[in-house]
Amino acid sequence: MSEPEDLELEALQRQLDDAFETTRPRAGFEDEVWTRMQAHRPAGSRLRDAWVGLVQAIREAPTVPMAAVAAVLVVILGAGVFLYSGLGRGGAGSSATSGAAAPAFGSEPFPLSSPGAFGKLPPPVLAGRNSAQPATGAPESAISPGATYAGPVALKWTGKLDLTIRTAPVFRYHEPSTNTADQFATSLGAVLVSRPAGFLGSYQTTDFSVRVRGTIQSPSREPSYIVLPIAQSFIDGAGAPMDLALIFLGEHSLAPTWQYAPDTVVSGDVAKVTLFRQFGVTGYGYAYLVDGNGDRYGAEVDLQGTRPISAIGPIPLSLESAPYSITSPELAIQSVLASSPVAASGMPTATLSSAELVYTLVAAGDHSFYEPSFLFSGTFTVNGTTYVKHVLVPAVDPSQRSS
Amino acid sequence: MTTRSLHLRCSGRCLKYGPREYHEPAVVADRPPFEDLYRAYLGRIYAYVRAQVGSSADAEDITAQVFMNAYQAYARFEARNTTPAAWLFRIARNATLDHFRSHGRRERLRRTIEHQPVAEEDPSGVAEERITYRALLGRVAQLPERQRDAISLRHSGLSFEEVGTLLKCSEDAAKMLYHRAVKALKEAVEKEAV
Repeated sequence: MSEPEDLELEALQRQLDDAFETTRPRAGFEDEVWTRMQAHRPAGSRLRDAWVGLVQAIREAPTVPMAAVAAVLVVILGAGVFLYSGLGRGGAGSSATSGAAAPAFGSEPFPLSSPGAFGKLPPPVLAGRNSAQPATGAPESAISPGATYAGPVALKWTGKLDLTIRTAPVFRYHEPSTNTADQFATSLGAVLVSRPAGFLGSYQTTDFSVRVRGTIQSPSREPSYIVLPIAQSFIDGAGAPMDLALIFLGEHSLAPTWQYAPDTVVSGDVAKVTLFRQFGVTGYGYAYLVDGNGDRYGAEVDLQGTRPISAIGPIPLSLESAPYSITSPELAIQSVLASSPVAASGMPTATLSSAELVYTLVAAGDHSFYEPSFLFSGTFTVNGTTYVKHVLVPAVDPSQRSS
Repeated sequence: MTTRSLHLRCSGRCLKYGPREYHEPAVVADRPPFEDLYRAYLGRIYAYVRAQVGSSADAEDITAQVFMNAYQAYARFEARNTTPAAWLFRIARNATLDHFRSHGRRERLRRTIEHQPVAEEDPSGVAEERITYRALLGRVAQLPERQRDAISLRHSGLSFEEVGTLLKCSEDAAKMLYHRAVKALKEAVEKEAV
């Protein structure tokens, strides 16, 4: 080969080097594919990674006493078996995932911490007043469909709640950042449009828009998404509104990974499907998440026939949990009765006949908590109208709550 | 003549090649975290695929598929038998061949020609060089399969030994194939210029 030809070939090789070196995918492609890969990880793989991570962590901490390591392993293995078995998970729309190393989206790991690990808990705000004040649960609300009774109500307790547990888990999440919201939106295939005030971001696909907001302090509400279809679209499926809602959520990667109980309310041609969120409590069962009024909530899909109108629900966040001592229901109701108005002439008396363990959200800055509470319910009648009465009392032992 | 080094995000021994230095990925005793592999090789795999298919949309689809496949198969990856680069490029090569099988070579050529860069696509002067590179990759995409592979794999940072392994030939044969491919490419470029 002649020298000039050699030089030409070398020049071409340099051009090839530069061509291959500078040819790269568009910005954002790397993160998009990584998110897709994470979303497609099988549950087994995530559990295995969690296990590898645990073993690695133990290897890197040689000073940990072996007994402590064994205890941690037993606890985590127990939790792993529980989570991996599918217990405490949702119905058709849910997917079982587990493991402390699982990604934030599409899973809800519950790493167990030592009792009281979160320190003193902030007090809940129940229906506009701080129930940590004297009576921890004076009458909080009076509800009847379409009406609210604002006057004083005397209380009477006729029910019974047999509770064998002395502790209940408190769940904690870290306040999501705009980056977290962006990752969530990316997992739906949506791209950032803007960051309107009060929201972490506003995103869009060709089919729908989605807004993500952080924790709302009052009334407390966890970080949530709001999905609104852009163009008129229809769910490709048939069945009851519940089935359609689950199809819609599943198609948009929004199927809950938490335990829920479904409910459908039809009004005219609009069906409101709600997946009431629940938390698993060992020794008790599933406890509903309720707002400050004692009303259950979770994710909600509004449908008009097979046309989705909107979907609202909590964005998936990793939760930590730690057991906390709780008061007995008897003590809780006694404090309520002690602080309720004394029955007087013309004052209605609500007969509280049922009680259950529930969870309420306590918004507290960087971290917010799902704390156990007791919900006492009953009815009373005024001028022929029957009202439902809820009384919500924090269940966490007062000694473990900040004043 | 100045000698520049090709900056690849990998470590290992230096393999001298012509006027340039290439860093051959080291054979590691243990598997690195997959995310490290992903971050290090995504761009290179994309460039390799892009040179094969001539369309950025197809290249993205195939690249995404490559890493999805690799992610699922990573548990079976044996670092003793091959380098992560060679392993990933094998998956990429298979995915690209699958793509051709499903789309047909004629379709590929049509798309390659359709996606030849034109000045109107990016009129800024800064992008001129990029357009030249894209045109060059377009020429590579039109070479016979083995020549195309030899150039793409070699300029994606693989050693001749790895190129030979992937193309099922010896290291020397890979060198020979590569040199023939570069000459063929040069002739194609000159022919185009006339």
